[in-house]
Parts: sequence; structure tokens; C-alpha cells
Amino acid sequence: MKLLALIRLTLRELAAKATIIILAAISTIVLLGLAAAFSTNVTPDGMMLQLFGQQASPVMPEEQLITAIRSMQAGLAGGLFTGIILFGIFATAGVIPDALEKGTVDLYLSKPIARWELLLGKYLGALVAIFVNVLYFMVGAWLIFGLKCHLWDFQILLATLTITFMFACLYAIVAFLAVLTRNTAVSIILVYLYLFVVGPLLHNREATLYLISENTVYRSIVDGFYYVFPQLDAMRASGAKQLLAQEMDWKPFVQSLLSASVFFFGGAVMLKRRDF
Amino acid sequence: MLAISTSHLSKTYTSGFRGKRQVNALQDFSLEVESGQIFSLLGPNGAGKTTFIKILLSLTRQTGGSATILDHDVSDVQARVKTGYLPENHRYPGYLTGEQVLRSFGPLSEVTGPLLQSRTTTLLELVGLKDWRNVKVKKYSKGMMQRLGLAQAMINDPDLLFLDEPTDGVDPVGRAEIRDLLRNLKTRGKTIFLNSHLLSEVEMISDRVAILDKGQLLRVGTVDELTTSGERHHIGIDGVLPEAFRLEAAAKVIEFSQSQSSLTVDVGSIAELNALIDMLRRHHVPIVSIAKERSTLEESFLSLIKREVAS
Repeated sequence: MKLLALIRLTLRELAAKATIIILAAISTIVLLGLAAAFSTNVTPDGMMLQLFGQQASPVMPEEQLITAIRSMQAGLAGGLFTGIILFGIFATAGVIPDALEKGTVDLYLSKPIARWELLLGKYLGALVAIFVNVLYFMVGAWLIFGLKCHLWDFQILLATLTITFMFACLYAIVAFLAVLTRNTAVSIILVYLYLFVVGPLLHNREATLYLISENTVYRSIVDGFYYVFPQLDAMRASGAKQLLAQEMDWKPFVQSLLSASVFFFGGAVMLKRRDF
Repeated sequence: MLAISTSHLSKTYTSGFRGKRQVNALQDFSLEVESGQIFSLLGPNGAGKTTFIKILLSLTRQTGGSATILDHDVSDVQARVKTGYLPENHRYPGYLTGEQVLRSFGPLSEVTGPLLQSRTTTLLELVGLKDWRNVKVKKYSKGMMQRLGLAQAMINDPDLLFLDEPTDGVDPVGRAEIRDLLRNLKTRGKTIFLNSHLLSEVEMISDRVAILDKGQLLRVGTVDELTTSGERHHIGIDGVLPEAFRLEAAAKVIEFSQSQSSLTVDVGSIAELNALIDMLRRHHVPIVSIAKERSTLEESFLSLIKREVAS
């Protein structure tokens, strides 16, 4: 009950901030654009994609068209993931530092709730907000593709869970940084640094970081760092396979779950020891 | 039953490189507060008052000693089920209305459903915010925020209420209402732990007071005990002291000072006081009143702190 109350409070907080609403508004605009622009047309020789009534693909057999649509869905999901990472982190990064501010944290911790419960409540609250946003977009896209192409593919709905899971892994790092720094701006900068610099470097370490030295100890350390953090790029690649109805690689998801758990647990331990 | 019990409590804050800078916020602090009392903690800024409350509410961890509230160790989450807290400089989300604040924070104190609804209505009325219940908190004045904070602290009908500067920013009428409210809570057996700079208010409502400075407990006692200065008495008389009385008093080495129609005298015991009264009666000096000299809580507090600084 207390956890639910914390989640509800967090959702209210996020609703009061314009950013999460803007994210939903952007989703709406993209969906409306997709609905207005995209259609398929059946010809005697096969099917084709149309954009604003103009032919956008060669006439092809139905099987081939489905593959093309699935590629489009994967592209949309990838775009959504990027959007969620950029806007979602920006919109939700303040949730935990705000709760730990003097004058606010006293109100929470003077109640019969454990500190890890406070952290979890805030974490889940942010996650629910993102989940609802992703679900809204994905259900919209599913309906558009279903109504316009008669392709009622459930993979696109499952992508809601995949994208939310990837966000959850990244948000565990945000939670850790938020407890460590108690500063929203620093948390955002550090997580973006990981996301756009450290993460890609580690993911492509064989082509980048390995070039610095051939020393095995150095390369082991680089590998170690790679496995310490959630493997976002690997998950993204695997998630795209899901949308293309190909077999997914679950290994990066399992490893990222462990990594996120370690970050969250680390944040909870730090919070437990902190004086307010 | 003890509402609060601490034994040799200490808290040292460390900062700087390798914790080289240390501040002793509390030192060997032992205190017991009986249930059903209004207990006030006084002290200058930085004395350790807020640190003490924060340790009791587990917002801060002690570095030594032990503390219990309502028979639970302060680190036990259950200790806070029947406590309420109005922090100093509390911040409620500005996008919530007064009613939403209570309805949002109530479940965190395990108050839900119809009980939460009825308490929300009752408390908003009690603190005078009934007409403001649907107004966003960001539009509230400082005094209204304090009233809302008080309502929030009482949402779980706590047995032990911690109030840090509860009347800060509240107008005189509001302060009187809050005092009445606290007295009413006391009659219902609740314990109130007050932290306030307004000594005149503390004096009006507190059963017991503790004075704290530089993390150390200087004195604890009832308001009477803290405001009574030794055995100095004022004896009100009607008329002029006869010379014979003065001579007899001088012979018996009784020192007194006279100002218009009263004598001020330091006596070693009640027997000495009675002997002096007998002497006045023998000399046919009409006695109008006899009163033990008392200072205000503020005077006692200031003199104690000054003595501490001097020592």
C-alpha cells in the first residue's frame, strides 16, 4: 500500500511536469502523421506501400511486404527508444533527487517506510510513467499497422516491454547517481555521458578501446567495465530482431538485469547510510 | 510509560578530507520523556535540537548511545507508525491541493480508505484550512503551510508528535489556536515534543523543558523548576517599615532590600521565611502578599546559556 502511494505520488509529480506530457504529445503527433501518411495498396501483381497516396515501394508479394512493414516497425521502435532515452531520462531524472531534498525527505522518512521502499517507490513511479507512454505509442502503432495493413503483429506490443525494460536498466544507473550526487543535472550529464560516449565505446571496444593497448590486463579491465553496465546496444539489436520475428538473444537482457540490480542495490545501500 | 528514552546519545558529523573536520552535535545526551506530556527542547541555533529529533525519527544515525520511542528502537520502522512530524522548512509538492497532500501522505502512515477521508476532512477543519482544501499548496502562505504541516503530522492520530517550530510564520490568533490544539491533544494522552524559539509560548504550554547547548543537556525540569531562582521571596507590605524592625533584622543578620511597598529577601529555608514573617507581624507591619521570585523562561534560558559561555 505504501509502495503504491509512493508510485501514485511520483506519477502526480511527473504529470505536473510538462516534459512527460510533451513526450506523450510528440507520440501523438508521430502516430497521427503515420496514420495520415501510411497505407498499403493491393494491385493485381501484388502489394505496395504508399505515403500520402504516392507509391513508396515497388509492388511485391505479400510476404515481402510484411517483412518491409516489420522493418518499419523496428525503425519506429528504435526511434521511440531513442526518444524515450532522451526525453524520458530528462523528464524523470529529477524524481529521486527531488525526494531527497531537505524539507521533502524529512516528510517521507518520518513515515513508517524503509529507505529502500522510498527509492523503489520513486523508481517504479518513473518506470510506470515511461511504460504508459511507450504503451500508448505502441498500441497506437499496432492499431495503425493493423487497420491499414491488416498486419496484427503482437511483436510490436511486446516491444513495449522490451523498451521499458531497457529504460529500467538505464534508470537504475540514474537512481544510483541520484542518491550519490542528489543533483538532477549531474545525474543527467553522467548518464548521458555513459549513454553516448562510454556505452558505445565499450560496446565497440574491439574497434576502439582495444586499439589503445594489446595488454591483456587492460583489455580484461575494459571487458569488465562492459559487463558492469547494462548492455543497451546489444539489447537494442536483440529487440530489433524481436520485431523482425527473428530469434532474440536473451543474454544481454539477463546480464543487464543483473547489472541494473547491482546499481539499484548500491543506491539503496548508500541511501540507508546517509544522514539527512 | 516513556514516550522517549535516550541513553548516552552522541552524534558527530565529519567532513573534509578523511573526515578530519568533526562537529559534535550531541554529546552523551540522556533524556526521558513521559507519555502524555508537552515537552520542549530549547537551545540556541546549532545546539543540536534538530539533530536530536532527526535521530529519534531515524533521519540521522547516532554515532553512539541508544534511543527508543514508544518502546521501539528508533531504527525500527514500526517506531514511526504512531508518530507524527512537522519538520522545520517542510516542502509539500506545489501542484497538490491541501486535501491532496493529506490524501497522498496518509497512506504512507498506513491510513487509507474511509478513515483517511474522514481524517482529512476533520483535520483540515481543525487547522482552519477547510475553505482552502481545493487550492493548490503553491498558493498557500507560510502560516497556512504550517497549518497544513500540522494536519499532515496528525493524519495517523499519532501518540507522539514532533513539532519543529510549529508556529513559525503563524499569526497571533493562529498561534493561540495551535496552542489550544496542543493542549487538547495532551488531554487525549498524546505526547508532544516541541522544538521552538518562541520561549513565551513554550512557557505557556510545556510541562517539562530541557535546555541544550553545544550538544549537551544543561538542565531539564518543569517550567516552575527552571523559572524559580533559589529561595528569593518578595513580601508585599502596607506602610513603612518601623526602625525597630530594621534594628532587629540587622541584629539577626537578615539582609533584605526594600523598594516602595515590598521587601526582597533571600532565605535559606522555609523556617527562616516564617521567622521573618513572624518578625514583621510582631512589629505590626501589614503583609499584603508573599511570592517566590521567578524569572521568565527566557530570562532563565539566557542566564543559563550565558553562564555556560562564561564557563
